[in-house]
Amino acid sequence: MARSRVGVFVCHCGINIAGVVRVPELVERVKTIPGVVSALDYVYCCSDPGQQLIKQTIKDKGLDGVVVACCSPNLHEATFRKAAAEAGLNPYRCEIANIREQCSWVTADRDAATEKAEGIVRTMVAKVREDVPLFRLQVPLVKRALVVGAGIAGIQAALDIANAGYEVVLVEKEPSIGGHMAQLSETFPTLDCSQCILTPKTVEAGNHPRIKLLTYSEVLEVSGFIGNFRVKIRQKPRYVDLDACTGCGICLEKCPVRVESGFDRNLTRRRAIYRLFPQAVPNKVVIDAEHCRQLQGKRCGVCERVCPAQAIRYEDTGRIIEEEVGAIVLATGYELFDISRVGSYGAGVVPDVIDSLAFERILSASGPFAGEVRRPSDGRVPKRVVFVQCAGSRDANQGVPYCSKICCMYTAKHALLYKHRVHDGEAIVCYIDVRTPGKGFEEFYRRATDEGVKYLRGKVAKIFRRADRVVVWAADTLAGKKIEIEADMVVLASAVIPNPKGVELARRLKIALDAHGFQSEAHPKLRPVETLTAGFFLAGCGQGPKDIPETVAQASGAAAKVLAMFGTSELYHEPVIAEVDEEVCVGCGNCERSCAYEAVKVDVRRGKAVVQAVMCEGCGACSVACPAGAINLKNFTKRALIEMVDV
Amino acid sequence: MKYPYYPGCTLYSKARNLDQCARKAALRAGFELEEMPSWNCCGAIYNTNTDDLAAQVGPVRNLAKASQLGERLVTLCAACYNVLKRASEHLQATGFEADRQRLLDFVDEPLIRDVEVVHYLQVLKELGWEGLRAKVAKPLNGLKIASYYGCLMVRPKEVLKFDDPENPMVMDELVAALGGTPVRFDFKSECCGGYLVVNHQAVADACSLRVVENARTWGAELVVTTCPLCQYNLEMAQRRRSSGNQLVPVLYFTQVLGLALGLAEAELGFDDNRLDPRPFLLTRGLL
Repeated sequence: MARSRVGVFVCHCGINIAGVVRVPELVERVKTIPGVVSALDYVYCCSDPGQQLIKQTIKDKGLDGVVVACCSPNLHEATFRKAAAEAGLNPYRCEIANIREQCSWVTADRDAATEKAEGIVRTMVAKVREDVPLFRLQVPLVKRALVVGAGIAGIQAALDIANAGYEVVLVEKEPSIGGHMAQLSETFPTLDCSQCILTPKTVEAGNHPRIKLLTYSEVLEVSGFIGNFRVKIRQKPRYVDLDACTGCGICLEKCPVRVESGFDRNLTRRRAIYRLFPQAVPNKVVIDAEHCRQLQGKRCGVCERVCPAQAIRYEDTGRIIEEEVGAIVLATGYELFDISRVGSYGAGVVPDVIDSLAFERILSASGPFAGEVRRPSDGRVPKRVVFVQCAGSRDANQGVPYCSKICCMYTAKHALLYKHRVHDGEAIVCYIDVRTPGKGFEEFYRRATDEGVKYLRGKVAKIFRRADRVVVWAADTLAGKKIEIEADMVVLASAVIPNPKGVELARRLKIALDAHGFQSEAHPKLRPVETLTAGFFLAGCGQGPKDIPETVAQASGAAAKVLAMFGTSELYHEPVIAEVDEEVCVGCGNCERSCAYEAVKVDVRRGKAVVQAVMCEGCGACSVACPAGAINLKNFTKRALIEMVDV
Repeated sequence: MKYPYYPGCTLYSKARNLDQCARKAALRAGFELEEMPSWNCCGAIYNTNTDDLAAQVGPVRNLAKASQLGERLVTLCAACYNVLKRASEHLQATGFEADRQRLLDFVDEPLIRDVEVVHYLQVLKELGWEGLRAKVAKPLNGLKIASYYGCLMVRPKEVLKFDDPENPMVMDELVAALGGTPVRFDFKSECCGGYLVVNHQAVADACSLRVVENARTWGAELVVTTCPLCQYNLEMAQRRRSSGNQLVPVLYFTQVLGLALGLAEAELGFDDNRLDPRPFLLTRGLL
């Protein structure tokens, strides 16, 4: 069935290819390949005239296969397949011979490059002669989105999608939405109050007719494929009837149990029945079962007795909710590197050494000291505060090797706000480099230094206790001196790490992660909000450290990708997928085990492997794993591969 | 269980109390130290001070001898542990084959197998804290004890692989097993001043006092250590520059171990301590 009217087009790519490969000689050699009836070259095949040349030649010569020898198929395969289709050729009979990335860019010698280019073209001619026409697969599409995580990233993505007219299921593991942004005091570089700019968004998300908000909930599993996901969500027992609770707060005063408040970074105590903060959305309480006397089997029941709305439900066991959605946005957020893991910085037990989120709470008007700067150990106003940057970041020894990106700016903000509140106080920042690449950032950093914040360039070696003060050993690398600073309080700009729950979820969903657990985007430059798993999109710090404006921009970007998908009537799936020869398949299950996408399953009743076409990404792993050779990738059949090797 | 044991020179002189208690306490803890025959000085300061290959001959000869006794060699002195462990890691390192051959040609006995150098504390940990807890005859009554590791036990971490160099815990775990209260402090693995005490006594004293002061800040009543030089410096700096209720006794961990496992007072070597801990231990009902 080998096709015999193949046309080859060699692209010069300016001097990218022609500067190394001898194109005229290559064209002459290509003409001798069996099945080739036409070989032409052009300076830029991807240009309009270049595509026109291809189309015209297909028609004039009656070509039944096309090979374009040019750059990587990642760049222009789609361009040339479209051109071929416009000339009446099945697009899957147009193949790319990559003689740029795989040849001219990596081969210096002109003879060797020309030789190699010929080999690559021969291989692809052999393939195109075996190619059969393929047709894209139509996939039905549920126009409803799931957003995981309701920090500012998730809220923004959900609002954008919902405001465009589609339903959104917004899942948040905490009892209310807002994420870390709700903990912050003021935001750099404008010093807007974080809560003031956040609450309009949380309120809108909470009231939106098209947003189904599931708080205190976690995604258990996702099955299906792009356009057709089935999601299982566990709503944890809240022990409070969400419809009945009016948020009056009487229970918050009467509950006899006090435990450290994680929202306030353990600087204050809350009750066992609590809400994270007064403007919480939803403004409903929740019972912390671990500390509730009643739920721990002791006698209590106070909240039930005092609740005027009779909203307490000690028998609550939570529930499992199933949803169908077409697209999923992961906005799982970050955590701070645990300071107890940094031995030389006091291992989290030296009094008055706190992390940056704790300092945000101290600065916050709703924080432990109502916005006054006091130190946790004895409530005194600290007169000298040392801010330690890169506490865990850029430190492969004790922390993470990467830069956490936001700390330089929030540290400048911390130091400045401290100076605003404690006029005679001394703010010292120990830094390695100050990185301020953002709009208004350098100016903001300058403002901090102009207003008297002292910057000392050198990494902090050690932090320890001396009586009721904290001593910092650092270097001043500009003066070439070792320095010791006795301070009242130390704030560590701890490294930003991906939220561990988000890491665990991504692992379960088989979303690619980088070495540090951040979700990997499909392309670091050109596809920054997509993942390699179709239908999953990324927003916020789960993908990498970023500040609020960048998070919001990325969230809107992810929403735009979801909306672009929902804007089409149907989805199409690439037809280059695995295909089972049932005559040969013995149902051993090797293919099922080798499939990363859960696209191949053995039908136990019939004892044959079945490919779920729309889930197959065409990687070919099953085809290699099959001992019987029963499973082949379309247009990469074993026969085609042998022809391609044997040139 | 019997282990080949390398005591080292100091444990035959200034640090007899480190060694004596260790041998006797081991029997009570369930293992036996068998001193290897005809050992020589590990090299101590020469090896920590230079990367000259010749300085490795001493420890390598010890390792070659030990290789005939078994796969492991137990040490006690922090400096001996550091030197021998680094020498054994060095011998096994890739890229060091030529030097390894030169060293072994120089030594009169063959290295018949790679020797793993382990510290006494690691042996205790392997045997298990629970088992040790069951053997305690005289619990330490919640005595607040700061475990001081110094530099040599934990660094360089890639080679010694002993514990977290900034927050080591193994001695703290031992203290807890013996019924004491481990006190975390900030100078667990900072330098005591080391050999600077010979020529720059004031500098060394400042380093040592910093360690003791910080331990006191965190509430420690007693400091334990594994290193004869640390022990000497911490005691002598206090004798020279502190007095009265500022004084914190500094014991070898083996003395505390022996005490808890029920060794007689005479076996604990308190006579060799330069700050007599007995009055303090008496007030806490431990003698």
